[in-house]
Amino acid sequence: MAFAVIDDLVRRDEIQLDYETAQHNYIKAIDKGLLKIMSKMGISTIRSYRGAKIFEPIGLSSQLLADYFGTSLSTVGGIGLETITADALRMHAQAFDGQAESDILPFVGQYSFRKDGIRHAWTPEAIATLQLATRTGSYKKFKEFTSIIDNKPEPLFLRDFFKFKQKPIDISEVEPAENIVRRFIGAAMSFGAISKEAHEAIALALNKLGGRSNTGEGGEDSERFYTDKDGVSLSSSIKQVASGRFGVTAEYLVNATEIQIKVAQGAKPGEGGQLPGYKVNEVIARTRNSIPGITLISPPPHHDIYSIEDLAQLIYDLRSVNPKAKISVKLVAESGVGTIAAGVAKAKADLVIISGAEGGTGASPASSIRYAGISPEIGLAETQQTLVMNGLRGSIEVQTDGQLKTGRDVVAMALLGAGEFAFGTAQLIVLGCVLMRKCHTNACPVGVATQDPKLRERFLGRSEYLVNYYMFMAEEVREYLAQMGFRKFDDIIGRTDLIEVDPTKFTDKTRGLDFSRILTKIDNGAATRKMAENQYDLSKTMDARLIADAAEAIDSQRPVRLSYNILNTDRAVGATLSGAVAAKYRAIGLPENTINVQFTGSAGQSFGAFLMRGISFSVEGEVNDYVAKGLSGGCISVYPSRKSTFNPQENIIAGNTILYGATSGEVYISGRVGERFAVRNSGATAVVEGTGDHCCEYMTGGRVVVLGTTGRNFAAGMSGGLAYVWDKNHDFDYYCNMDMIELSLIEEKSRRDELFELISRHYRHTGSPLAKQMIEHWSDYIDDFIQVTPIEYKRVLHEEALRQIEKKMENVQQEENY
Amino acid sequence: MGNPKAFLTVPRQEAGHRPIHERISDFGEVEQTLNESNRMLQASRCMDCGVPFCHWACPLGNKQPEWQDAVYRGKWETAYKILTATNDFPEFTGRICPALCEKSCVLNHCIDAPVTIRENECSIIEKAFREGFVQPKHYERNGRRVAIIGAGPAGLSAAVQLNRRGYAVTVFDKHSDAGGLLRYGIPNFKLDKYVVTRRTNLMQQEGVEFQFDTDIDLNHLPEGFDAYVIANGTPTARDLKIEGRDLKGVYFALQILSQQNERLAGKQFAESETITAKSKRVLVIGGGDTGSDCIGTCHRQGAVSVTQIEIMPKPPVGSNPATPWPQWPVVLKTTTSHEEGCERRWCLTSNRFIGNAKGELTGVEVEEVEWLPAPEGGRPQMKLTGRKEVIECDMVLLAMGFLKPEHPQYAPNVFLAGDAKSGASLVVRAIASGREVAQQVDNYLRKG
Repeated sequence: MAFAVIDDLVRRDEIQLDYETAQHNYIKAIDKGLLKIMSKMGISTIRSYRGAKIFEPIGLSSQLLADYFGTSLSTVGGIGLETITADALRMHAQAFDGQAESDILPFVGQYSFRKDGIRHAWTPEAIATLQLATRTGSYKKFKEFTSIIDNKPEPLFLRDFFKFKQKPIDISEVEPAENIVRRFIGAAMSFGAISKEAHEAIALALNKLGGRSNTGEGGEDSERFYTDKDGVSLSSSIKQVASGRFGVTAEYLVNATEIQIKVAQGAKPGEGGQLPGYKVNEVIARTRNSIPGITLISPPPHHDIYSIEDLAQLIYDLRSVNPKAKISVKLVAESGVGTIAAGVAKAKADLVIISGAEGGTGASPASSIRYAGISPEIGLAETQQTLVMNGLRGSIEVQTDGQLKTGRDVVAMALLGAGEFAFGTAQLIVLGCVLMRKCHTNACPVGVATQDPKLRERFLGRSEYLVNYYMFMAEEVREYLAQMGFRKFDDIIGRTDLIEVDPTKFTDKTRGLDFSRILTKIDNGAATRKMAENQYDLSKTMDARLIADAAEAIDSQRPVRLSYNILNTDRAVGATLSGAVAAKYRAIGLPENTINVQFTGSAGQSFGAFLMRGISFSVEGEVNDYVAKGLSGGCISVYPSRKSTFNPQENIIAGNTILYGATSGEVYISGRVGERFAVRNSGATAVVEGTGDHCCEYMTGGRVVVLGTTGRNFAAGMSGGLAYVWDKNHDFDYYCNMDMIELSLIEEKSRRDELFELISRHYRHTGSPLAKQMIEHWSDYIDDFIQVTPIEYKRVLHEEALRQIEKKMENVQQEENY
Repeated sequence: MGNPKAFLTVPRQEAGHRPIHERISDFGEVEQTLNESNRMLQASRCMDCGVPFCHWACPLGNKQPEWQDAVYRGKWETAYKILTATNDFPEFTGRICPALCEKSCVLNHCIDAPVTIRENECSIIEKAFREGFVQPKHYERNGRRVAIIGAGPAGLSAAVQLNRRGYAVTVFDKHSDAGGLLRYGIPNFKLDKYVVTRRTNLMQQEGVEFQFDTDIDLNHLPEGFDAYVIANGTPTARDLKIEGRDLKGVYFALQILSQQNERLAGKQFAESETITAKSKRVLVIGGGDTGSDCIGTCHRQGAVSVTQIEIMPKPPVGSNPATPWPQWPVVLKTTTSHEEGCERRWCLTSNRFIGNAKGELTGVEVEEVEWLPAPEGGRPQMKLTGRKEVIECDMVLLAMGFLKPEHPQYAPNVFLAGDAKSGASLVVRAIASGREVAQQVDNYLRKG
């Protein structure tokens, strides 16, 4: 049928191609789409894709699943074959009963609202009423809004089928709204996706109320950490650490009250964020440590999380940098999320977020908006049940999101087990969003989701509106608590026994739903909500010694030289020290080489993580995985033990995933390194003597010099920075992923000089015999080097050069005029 | 949607009006048209909103983003098909609709320059007529008959819809031609009657029967029909029963409006019956659209002066915080007729009509009123101030709205539509109501 449609389109001149080309293009597009979906699911061959059952049935009855899908595990039950048949017959009749008024296919409004189309939760009335209520501060209007949402003509979310058991008490007995409002969280939306004005308004409102706002994955302009507006900080409490690690520096992390590891996003599980180049202006580029105009792609996975142990390591790294911050992990609702959440609890996170599918950015791919993710109710219920069953719920808070809008939504999710609630779309609507759903075009006419300065002028939102919204919602929650007979919000968390399913809400399609699995309450005596803050002892770490021994340097910038033996049980060495320096000296750090530490031995994981400017570490021996993760200006050098006899060029002395998410600083390693070297590097300089696979993947800035062979897939997704590779076997192109880059000999003198300088430094820091050989016989080596230039980066450099020339010409002309 | 940022580069361009000095000497349409390329450019300003408030505000649920995109791409026939799927008479609404859609347009909200939706609509249907996209269709008959009382917009749209569903439709009207207020109320300078005739001719070709000059007694509906639709509008205008109401020179707005339209259609009136504002000082009582139509008509008839008074206070100019976007803004509306010259006054109530010995009107005594803020939940309260004056005039036109008709309980096969059902309202609502009642009749007759 697809081909018949293409044929028809070609005939009607809707496509100006001949049929063969159109068909070819179509097949190619399907191919690419399939590859994209497979990669999101983590599947690399068609054979493992076929029959992989990577779907999650929702709303299908157990019988149907048993008969046709090879499983009978239905989370919420649902429709059977009869309903499907009836639908098919109805649609057939629509097409062929001759009643259709025109031959135009009706537009049913999958993506946009139509009166006669499929239902959307945000109706024009709801949007207009919410904006009016929060703008004028009218609680009466707000109740009109919640009535529109809560009494929608037919249920859209699972929670819409709930009603709560009543046992009224007087509302004056219920805890004040000021307490409840602290449970409200601004969902992660990056500065980059939304405008500066919108992002700051959200931070202001939540800081004022004692809730928490989220930076999103794009970092945050460091000026905001230290800026107040009417005594309220502009800094977002939650600093997100996503797979792209944009702007994740020691300074960023020490300014957090919560550090959130974004494993995935409910609206688009399996995908990283994508910020198109035209949205990356100067300020965005600065906060993300990248270059204006370059598309920023977050990789689907965190390259330092491949197991729950890796996650525990990352949690430890982040806690080391900022021991005062809570660490949270954001997961998406899915079957099995309970097990992952239990792992997260055991990895010592303070908070886990179960993100639902309904939430979503206007900029997500259509296929993700429509087909990916599941309801937060299902994921939340499973998480709560698993955590309680394993006695873990008492030590970890659970937060949820997914199109929450009203007090009723909050109460419903609390009964399912959530203690905190994040709001995304609702916040933006309060600030003026009218659900244009043009976020990906940078053309938002209300200045919310755009970086265009002209459009940003149209932003009319104010943080006061958000304060109104959250206070109204807290007040409404109080009303529900009073009706249900509870004085404290804590007392309803996880009380699924207070939920009744409202039979009047069922329609023909939804009658088969079965809520018994979701509403199961585990009664094992274990805590059903978070009981106390976790305590962590970081007093016996290497960093505790470092901070004590370098106290003078930290206090008064007096240089110190220290030396220690190091063992592989010393993890994240330098992180807490860097946190202390960043807290005092901000991004500037200390003068170069102020704290100079010589280690001997075998360093543990995450050595030199987030190392700050002014701190130099050198290791004689070897280092483990994740060296220089998030490097923030520090300098790390590693060389083999002076007693060793092996050839550094042929031996690995440093582990995997080095320099991941580094933003600045230097790394010199006299030896080979493992896989995924310098992934998502956005500004650090590194010299090594050979790498494993995937070197420089997703890199957006900085310099990487490889004096030796590389593994395959070099420079995949690389959009900025430069790499120089010594191609002694003349086969480097075979190892390179050529999608986004260009290879060339090093032609420009400035580049040759730069390379020479880097190799000289490498020699000075590590005493590398190879570097010495190269410097002494430079002309013999230089022509064997290959320069790797991302095409997009080349364009930016070119434009920059042009601008310089234009500026000069202007000056010349002006001079002529005089 | 051409370019999502088109609204930043393409300014709103209205087709504009004929110059005043030219237009007030005839009854031709005031509004002009844009050329096709400018029209397509205007359509490109539509941003295809995820939540199209225009579509939401439209009583017909017109799909503005879809047909404007088609216009932008030059696919006029597609645009015509999408447009007429929700609106039976775009040539009427495209001319005289107050365009609730434009008030709710997101571009009205953020740059005060909505897409020219109404004009775009009009150009689609006019292009469709010119290019011959509009052809009479013939529908298979189902053997059932429906009578429609009233050939106004509600009755006509019900007729189109029922005819399409296979019913044999007869439309009765007391006038001698179809259109209701479209023909006998709205002045030609806003809606040329050729436009109405073009449509009713098409309906006749499609099989709809009309019986004119037939005043149906609603208590004795004609026999031989399976269902009835009563769409006879709001026949009773609100009167002002004060002293001097019988003086010569006091008329209902519709008297002068319908006579003018009929005269233009060629009907002759005896001098004694003629109502004209020629050489008269005219006072229009009532500040709504009908009043405004009176003003334009009087200018064209050669009135000496026209004054319009309204009992309510002057609405805010520009924007009104009490009716924020996307609601219909209650603000001062200045029509083309106002532009042609007119004194407008507010907060005036009329106490008595003053006449001379010959029983001719010479003036109206008016009194200023104040409006006290509404008590909780109620309407604002009117207070007389005692400040009285006499406005001299030779003619008064009462344009104070229409009374909502009361209907007895009809048999189950009798349905109400349009103004007859819900009181005087917009043409677009009447069309929507006609479409709705057609669906009800269809459901009823299919079931029975």
